[in-house]
Parts: sequence; structure tokens; C-alpha cells
Amino acid sequence: MNNIMIGRFVPGDSWIHRLDPRTKMIGTFIFIFVMLWANSWATYAWSAAFVFAMIRLTKQPFKLYWDGLKPIFWLILFTIILQLFFTPGEPVLFQAGPLKITVPGIINAIYVMIRFVLIILMSTILTLTTAPTSIANALESLLKPLKKLHVPVAELALMLSIALRFVPLLMDETQKIMNAQKSRGMSFSTGGPIKRARAIVPLLIPLFVGALQRALDLANAMEVRGFQDATQRTKYRILSYGSEDSKAFAGLFIFSVLFIAIKFFIKY
Amino acid sequence: MVKAIEINNLKYSYDEQPLFNDFNLNIEAGQWVALVGHNGSGKSTLAKLILGLLVADEGQIIVFDEQLSIESVHRVRAKIGMVFQNPDNQFVGATVADDVAFGLENTKVDSSDMPQKIDAALTVVGMQDFKDREPHTLSGGQKQRVALASVLALQPKIIILDEATAMLDPDGRMTVMETLQQLKQQFGQNLTLITITHDMDEATLADRVVVINDGRKILDGTPAKVFSQRRVLHDNGLELPFANELAYQLDKKPEDYMDERELIQWLSTLNK
Ligand SMILES: Nc1ncnc2c1ncn2[C@@H]1O[C@H](COP(=O)(O)OP(=O)(O)O)[C@@H](O)[C@H]1O
Ligand SMILES: [Mg+2]
Repeated sequence: MNNIMIGRFVPGDSWIHRLDPRTKMIGTFIFIFVMLWANSWATYAWSAAFVFAMIRLTKQPFKLYWDGLKPIFWLILFTIILQLFFTPGEPVLFQAGPLKITVPGIINAIYVMIRFVLIILMSTILTLTTAPTSIANALESLLKPLKKLHVPVAELALMLSIALRFVPLLMDETQKIMNAQKSRGMSFSTGGPIKRARAIVPLLIPLFVGALQRALDLANAMEVRGFQDATQRTKYRILSYGSEDSKAFAGLFIFSVLFIAIKFFIKY
Repeated sequence: MVKAIEINNLKYSYDEQPLFNDFNLNIEAGQWVALVGHNGSGKSTLAKLILGLLVADEGQIIVFDEQLSIESVHRVRAKIGMVFQNPDNQFVGATVADDVAFGLENTKVDSSDMPQKIDAALTVVGMQDFKDREPHTLSGGQKQRVALASVLALQPKIIILDEATAMLDPDGRMTVMETLQQLKQQFGQNLTLITITHDMDEATLADRVVVINDGRKILDGTPAKVFSQRRVLHDNGLELPFANELAYQLDKKPEDYMDERELIQWLSTLNK
């Protein structure tokens, strides 16, 4: 279970690590927004080149990113298959009833796969190089305007950082409970959908009980360490926007301009 | 004598089930007190009452001359640090440094002062090289030392450890106990330590051992005095520390002649 990479932070000292987490967050969103307009090999290639350049800049081994892709492999496969079989168009290469494989279908499936992979890689760059606390702080800072609407932004950010911290723990616990029940003859992978769904119930109950106990303990630990009000706290990880962040946005701007140029002038 | 904690006529019940009835306890500043008792004897409840996590039905709890009340609870808590039993359920931060920072953030320490305070606290418990580590990459003993550092960073006058070693392997248990001994040496009279445990070997390290059962004080005195009361301890579901138990059992050696095999057999029954 330790190879689950979603939300995992790897400390380091790269240029990307040192950027303001808000820059990384907004940058990721801008990149994804721009990339969603890609519609040709050239635009996808340009986007991929950008992502791989970013990955190099994080100075982390590519294996970490590969591990980040693995958990969503089935989701990618599912989407590819949908695209492959249900895209209408000509020429048709293969047909069986309502299912047909067309040339546009194949191209679409590959596009969707690239899009998926690039989005995941880009998000992994964000989580890999940013401490969860910093992500929460950045979110709190970016959502500050909502405070005027009485949205409890500070509390939500703290909840998020605690939730991120407990994800690996709850995964571990799920695995333990599953193993304990498998060893007593429970099967999670045989039988029809109803039988399988019912097998989940005895898994969820101990998981919930355990999570509630953790929550109560955690509340005590937080109170004992002086926690009173999420809005009345100082911050260990301070956010500071510097000239490097401006350079990052300038880079993203150049990427976007060239993206548009490629989209309109290169016809592949 | 300066009193760190003074508990007078404490009453507390969980849903009509009385636990403490007229309980009294004084703890001297600078002492190391081991609070022992079998499971369910009320140790954790007592700790939570002292910290104001539970509210007493009757009686007084006074911490360094300040009486615990709804109004004073945060000031009282600022004087006390607490380490709980489960290493995972008290790790608030995403990394070791963030966890130590959590308490500092709550008490509004300036951001610029934090790194130095975090380093200092982690150095005391020997965890300074693990600052950026995430909790699931640490052993139980390491997590408990981080919890101790988180508490130390807030400079409490009293530290309570509620079975902080109960979920650890022997190795982790040893490092935590060593850290505590070293802490006590470093801070001397400025730190009052209360270790709640049912491991009697840990209790021998304290200056004073208090045995409770069903919310009542059963024995109270130096480890030497308390562990001479084998019968009373047994009647309250507790055992002697290993060394004392061994000495006691060896003293009971059979009168009859034993050959080598019989002697080995007899010795092995001691180590139950
Ligand atoms: N939240 C609770 N609700 C009801 N009873 C409780 C609760 N917590 C503890 N108790 C009961 O109070 C008694 C003392 O518990 P506790 O203080 O946890 O003992 P110890 O820490 O010495 O093992 C036990 O009998 C326990 O069942
Ligand atoms: Mg307890």
C-alpha cells in the first residue's frame, strides 16, 4: 500500500519545489485548461513536451510519476475502450452489432489517453513537490474571497490537510481488515455484483468504527496542543510570491501562446 | 514544596456509572510520578480530567495554583503537555516538522521563530534528521518521540504520557523511555513528569508510584516501597517488575532435593 502515490509529497530542493504553492496550483489549472483545447498531434506533442520538461525540473526519478499513473490505469483503459468502440465516423475498420472500430475512433482513443496521462502527470508534479500543508495553505489563500460569504475557508483547509494525512493510514487499515476477513474465508472478488456488494458491508463497519475512534483521539490531541479556532493560528509554511513565480507564469504564458500558434498553423 | 497538581475530592461518573468518588492526589513540582493500574482502572479518565477534556462532577483540580474551570481551561492546558497511546491518532501534521509546528501555530508563535523551535524540540528527542518525513514512514517509537517533541516545543511544566509505550515494540519502548530519562535529567526540577502505564518495569524509573483501581488510590510511595507490596499489587491485577518478581520467586525455592533436570524444570515454571 505504500506505493500509492496520490497526494504523496517527496521533499526536495528543485526550482519547482521552491515555487509558491499557489503558483503551482494556478499553473496546473491553466495548463489543464489550455491543454483541453488540443485537437491535433502537434498540439498534444507540444503539451507533452511541456509536461516532460516540468518533470525534469522537479529532479525526481520518472519512476515516481509512473507509480502515480498506475492506480488509474483501469480508468484510462475504460475511457479508451469507450472511445474506441463508440466513436462514429468513417472509415469503419471492424463492426459487430452496435460496436464498431473506426479510424477517428482510434485517433480519439489515443488523444483521450494522452490527455488523461498529461493531466495526471501535471497533478502529480503539484503533489509530489508541495507539502500537503502548503497545498492546504494555498487553497485557503486562494479561496479567501469566499470568507466574505461566510464560507469557513480556514476550517476547510485544515480539514483537507488532515484528510490528506489520513489517506495512507485508512488505506492501510482497509487492507488489514480485508486480509483479516479473507483469512476467515471471505471473498471480495467472486460471485455476482450483489454478493460482492454485500461483502463490502463487513469491511465498511470496522473501517467506520476505526475512523471514528481515530477522529475522537485526534480531536483530543489537537485540543491538548492548544487548538481552539482555525482562523486564529499563525502559519509554519508561509506563502511568499517571488520573482521566480513570475518567471513560472511567464513560462506558462509562452507555452500558451505557442500552443495557440501551433493549433492554428500546424495541421497535423 | 510547590504543588504541580492538586486534586481535591474529585467525583466523576460515566453515564451514572461512578468511577471517581472523593479522589485526592497531590503531585509535587519536579517529581516523576508513575500512575499504574490495570486496564479500566481510571488512569486515562484521570488524565483527561486534569486536562479539562472531561469535566469533573465535583471537586477541584488545581494546576500550579490555577484552578481548572471552563474559564481557565486553556491557560491550564498551556502548562501541560500530553502524549497519548496511539502513535498514529495524535500525529496531526503531514510531516514531522508540520506536526511539531501544529501546536506552535495554535499558540500563535511567529512564523519566523518556528524553524528554530522545531529544530530544538526535535533535537531533544533525537529526531532532528527526520524533519521532512511523513508519519507512515516512521516506526511507532519514532512517532511517539515526535509526539513528545510536539509537546516539548510548547514548553509545558508538566508532561503526561498515557501508556505512550503500550503499542510499541520493545525497541521503540526502550528509546522512548531513554528519551524520558534524558529529558528528566535535562530539565530537572522544571519538569513534572507523569507516566501512566501498566508496565511495572517502566514504573520503577519514577520517583513515586501511585497505584489506582476503580478510581481509588491503593498504594502510594517510592518504587521500593510500592513493589514490596506484592500481595496488594496482585489483588489489584498488577504484577511486580521482572527483577522483583524473579527475586521473590527465587526466594521461594523448594526445600526438597532436585536433580539437574528437575531444577531446570522448576526454573522454567518461573518464567511464565
Ligand atoms: N467514554 C466512556 N464512556 C463510558 N465509560 C467509559 C468511557 N471511557 C472509559 N469508560 C470506563 O471508565 C473506566 C475507566 O476507563 P479508563 O480511564 O480508560 O481506564 P484506564 O485508562 O485505566 O485503562 C472503565 O471501566 C471504562 O470502561
Ligand atoms: Mg487508558
